[in-house]
Amino acid sequence: MSLVQHLPSARLPPRRRQVLPTAAVTAAAAGAATVLARVDPNQPGHYPGCPFLLVSGLYCPGCGSLRAVHDLLHAELADALARNPLTVVAVPFLLYALGAAWARALGRRPPSLTSVPAPVIWGVLVVVLAFGVLRNLPGWSWLSPA
Amino acid sequence: MSDQGSMPPPPPPPPPPPPSGGGGYGAPPPGGGYGPPPPGGGYGGGYGAPQGAPPPNHLVWAILSTLFCCLPLGIVSIVFAAQVNSKWSAGDVAGAHEASQKARRWAMWSAIVGLVGVVLYVLAVVVGGVSSNSNA
Repeated sequence: MSLVQHLPSARLPPRRRQVLPTAAVTAAAAGAATVLARVDPNQPGHYPGCPFLLVSGLYCPGCGSLRAVHDLLHAELADALARNPLTVVAVPFLLYALGAAWARALGRRPPSLTSVPAPVIWGVLVVVLAFGVLRNLPGWSWLSPA
Repeated sequence: MSDQGSMPPPPPPPPPPPPSGGGGYGAPPPGGGYGPPPPGGGYGGGYGAPQGAPPPNHLVWAILSTLFCCLPLGIVSIVFAAQVNSKWSAGDVAGAHEASQKARRWAMWSAIVGLVGVVLYVLAVVVGGVSSNSNA
């Protein structure tokens, strides 16, 4: 992943430099997934509530993401979509990004998700913002995490 | 995310036509730095677009912090990610690199704020027995 590429490292060959950070990210993600699969975010008190929700009373684009991932890990797609459809859409891309980071670390040159034409990224921004607004509006409760 | 720990490295895709982008610094062509511009030009290939891959836009981290840090900081990071590719394709190399740095910075701050929040919460639970609804 690209954050990792900026880490100043010893003068290893460029790809080798990426193996350790990529492995660390993978381990962290696997650890988080394991905890999230076992500790149910639907139960109050298991995880911190969102400070943004606490302060503003509004659902941000990330609201429901823990519950959505928990549901995905239990193969409950409909439940996951009900909590946070944006997260469900994002997960395959995130998995691809992780796979591509591994491929790069191992010396391949996989197609990159992020060097797409700029309008695509502006489009992502619009979708995220629209999602964040709409899920708070009456009549769009299918987007809300509740 | 599912069991990424056990996910084997994906099968090597055939090397795409240069530049595959994204990685940028990761696997520079032999010769160092950004290397000689690969033939074929950049993605999009618009007029004025520099050759080669744009600097990393950290879009993945921006999305992660938007979805999982529960703070709007990640959205700022998405803006800078888009600016990286916008400026690059407009030929603004310095601007693209600057936006790349900013995207990285905002994503990092978002992650740090999120982590600090979790640590504070754990401390609060341990010390004070606080509990709250899970809304993340």
